[in-house]
Amino acid sequence: MRRRLRTTELAALGLAMLLAWLVIYPILVVAGDAADATALRGFFTRPGEWAALWASIWISLASVVLAGAIGIPLAFLFEWFDFPGRKTLGALIALPVVLPPLVGVIAFLFLYGESGFIARAIQAALNLEQAPWRLQGAVAILLVHAYSMYVYFYLFTRAGLAKLDVSTLEAAQALGADRRATFWRVIVPLLRPSLVGAAMLTFLTALGSFSAPYIFGGGFRVMTTQIVATKLNGDLPLAMVETMALAVVAVVGWLILRRTEGDDILVALGKGIAPRPRPIRRSGIRLLATAAGWGLAVVLLLPHLTLLLVSLVPYGAWTTEILPPAINFENYRRLFSEAERLRPMLNSLWMAAASTAIAVALALVGGWLVVRRRVALRRVIEGLLALPWALPGTVFAIALAITFSVNAPLQLRFVLVGTVVILPLAYLVRALPLTGRGILASYRQLDPSLEEAAASLGAGGWRTLARVTLPQLRPGLAAGASLAFVAGLGDIVASIVLYTYETRPVSIEILSSLRLSETGVAAAFGVVLMLVSAVVLSVGARR
Amino acid sequence: MTGFLRIQAIEKRWGHGVTVGPITLDIARGEILALLGPSGSGKTTMLRLLAGFETADGGHIAVANEDVTAVPPARRRFGMVFQHYALFPHLDVGENVGFGVPRAPDRDAKVAAALGLVDLAGYERRSVHELSGGQQQRVALARALAPEPRVLLLDEPLSNLDPALRERTRRELRQVIKRVGITTVFVTHEQEEAFDLGDRIAVINAGRLEQTGAPEELYEAPANLFVATFVGRANVFRGQSARALGATDGRAVLVVRPERLRFSAAGGLPGVVRERRYTGAAAFFIVESDDGERFEVLAQPDAARVGERVHVEATRTIALSENGARP
Repeated sequence: MRRRLRTTELAALGLAMLLAWLVIYPILVVAGDAADATALRGFFTRPGEWAALWASIWISLASVVLAGAIGIPLAFLFEWFDFPGRKTLGALIALPVVLPPLVGVIAFLFLYGESGFIARAIQAALNLEQAPWRLQGAVAILLVHAYSMYVYFYLFTRAGLAKLDVSTLEAAQALGADRRATFWRVIVPLLRPSLVGAAMLTFLTALGSFSAPYIFGGGFRVMTTQIVATKLNGDLPLAMVETMALAVVAVVGWLILRRTEGDDILVALGKGIAPRPRPIRRSGIRLLATAAGWGLAVVLLLPHLTLLLVSLVPYGAWTTEILPPAINFENYRRLFSEAERLRPMLNSLWMAAASTAIAVALALVGGWLVVRRRVALRRVIEGLLALPWALPGTVFAIALAITFSVNAPLQLRFVLVGTVVILPLAYLVRALPLTGRGILASYRQLDPSLEEAAASLGAGGWRTLARVTLPQLRPGLAAGASLAFVAGLGDIVASIVLYTYETRPVSIEILSSLRLSETGVAAAFGVVLMLVSAVVLSVGARR
Repeated sequence: MTGFLRIQAIEKRWGHGVTVGPITLDIARGEILALLGPSGSGKTTMLRLLAGFETADGGHIAVANEDVTAVPPARRRFGMVFQHYALFPHLDVGENVGFGVPRAPDRDAKVAAALGLVDLAGYERRSVHELSGGQQQRVALARALAPEPRVLLLDEPLSNLDPALRERTRRELRQVIKRVGITTVFVTHEQEEAFDLGDRIAVINAGRLEQTGAPEELYEAPANLFVATFVGRANVFRGQSARALGATDGRAVLVVRPERLRFSAAGGLPGVVRERRYTGAAAFFIVESDDGERFEVLAQPDAARVGERVHVEATRTIALSENGARP
């Protein structure tokens, strides 16, 4: 027993050190290097830097407000009222969150951009000289954020509402509270953890958002695009200072929101099923709710439908017409028959698969040590698994780029940048919180007596793992793994900093297609990403 | 009696100075032993030590003269029925029962036999979710018995069933165990269950073995005050009251079962009936003595009225020494 105890503690130490090397060490390296007087002075004296930092903060806060304004009423509509199509629509409008951000952004571009579908239609209808608007700058970024991030508020609020105990509402009414008092004094306080959780997730996602500002920002810079631009210009010391500034904002924002109690996220993400919605009796309101629900779903899904349409238009065929003059599968044919175009697809697939497999394995070991063996380092391991969730992807991308471009084995630094290892490694860091959260939550719900029962029936460690533990962990494991895979598949934040021509992933190929005005190919890539993601996620969500 | 399952000075030390044991017990082949004690007494720890889920800090466990103290649970060949059954929710009834049976041509036959034993023949392809609580309990029993273990362990086997079902299941459980003839240890905190199901009972309190014996032995000749009061209802008298009921030693503690007290015309212990709890066939009368002590008398429902002044005498007493042990 004593010896076994020591082996598990040693294993825990090994895992903690490996995780620390992956998720903390690179940031410490950057923090150390960033303490450079010239770079610091450069950062603090240039107005552009302050403007970008301030832009990041206010864009993130405004995204929280906008996303909440859309997501919360939607959640009430779908959780409390019954109308035709409620279930299908309720699932459909949660879709944007699971698709790679880049796909949503280019879909938005094709629909609402200055040469997009709607702008063209208006231009033709009103016979204008040029496009009626230019979708650029802060407004465009905020639109995209609101469009994709309302889902956090929608899902969290629905989960919170689903957990409400009807009898507490009845109790409030029995105690003399009218509907308004019940809402403000019972429902809102009970929803607070869900709302804070959603706000936190939205804030951190908006702060780390890269594709929207990159595509729509134009001259308007936020911290993530600023960092990448500085890095591409070769001013590494300044990029490191910028990275640390962004990391500090993320941590401060996270701490402030955490203080307002937001620790319910695990629970909130676990559910999403309504207990019993009320049918709307008044036919007028019923019609209105139905129309609102369907109308909204169409608006929200329109960008993706546009993406599908654009992907079917061959190169150079669509110039000034409202509707494309020709439609065929030429872009898809090129995508799959030209080796140079197929390559990014295969790259993304294997790199996402490899990082997901390793992230699952690490989370399984972590779950076993933290939940089952309750090792002394369990809080450390859990914290390390969760940490990459709190920091923007750009921070990790820069940290990995800097740490692993130096050969100093004694400092545990190796030249990995430029090799095939670096992108899977970056995806792995981002995947750890996803697999870790899913697997740890499932492990906590797993009755230990099931494993004991297997042992008492003569099953050894491996057989118990394969026949009892893994099947029981399957829902959390599949959910975490599918999210991690999709995140890696559509990643742009880490890829744009770390890719080489050989290892370029789909996101980079989409960007270069856009730059060459090959919108059809870019859209076809987007559609393929979307489909693969949707299939993987629906498999992962199966119970 | 040569023990088939021998527990020698087994001991488990938890943190905070909590220790279970050392406990020594010999269990004969085919015997059903009940580990009876209040919650937190260490009886579940004892069962888990036997199963191998906890590692002993001292002592030995042997089955048929083979020391199994260091043998891991998977190789110990002890069957276990868990309190909440721990049926594998992703496997059907047949797969659950067959889990511990080696892959061999006769596997299906063994599963069928085990299910037949618990009266669930033909349930192989059912999902465990669609079974009632009583059926789940029987599947758990069949699953534990199917690999033909040397010892059967049961952790509060009936606590998840509703009271009406409990009594019937208890009888069926005993029949199955006796038919298989397997040496069995089960844990319970209910005296009635221990009496009904066990051949012999080991009373455990605060990690120590208080007494081992047949039900009658525990009831009629408890080793100490804890066993006397934990096993069955008991009135405890000291000093003046004890002497009034026939104690010869003035410092003795006298334990009297409610049915061993009766009302008498005069003599014995005087008191006033404060309460009457009618149970149908009889009634419990709560009597308050002149010293203010309250005790229970089991008698015919019409034996006394509330408020009546009565005299109580004992037909049989259990005398314990001042510190509660048997002299």
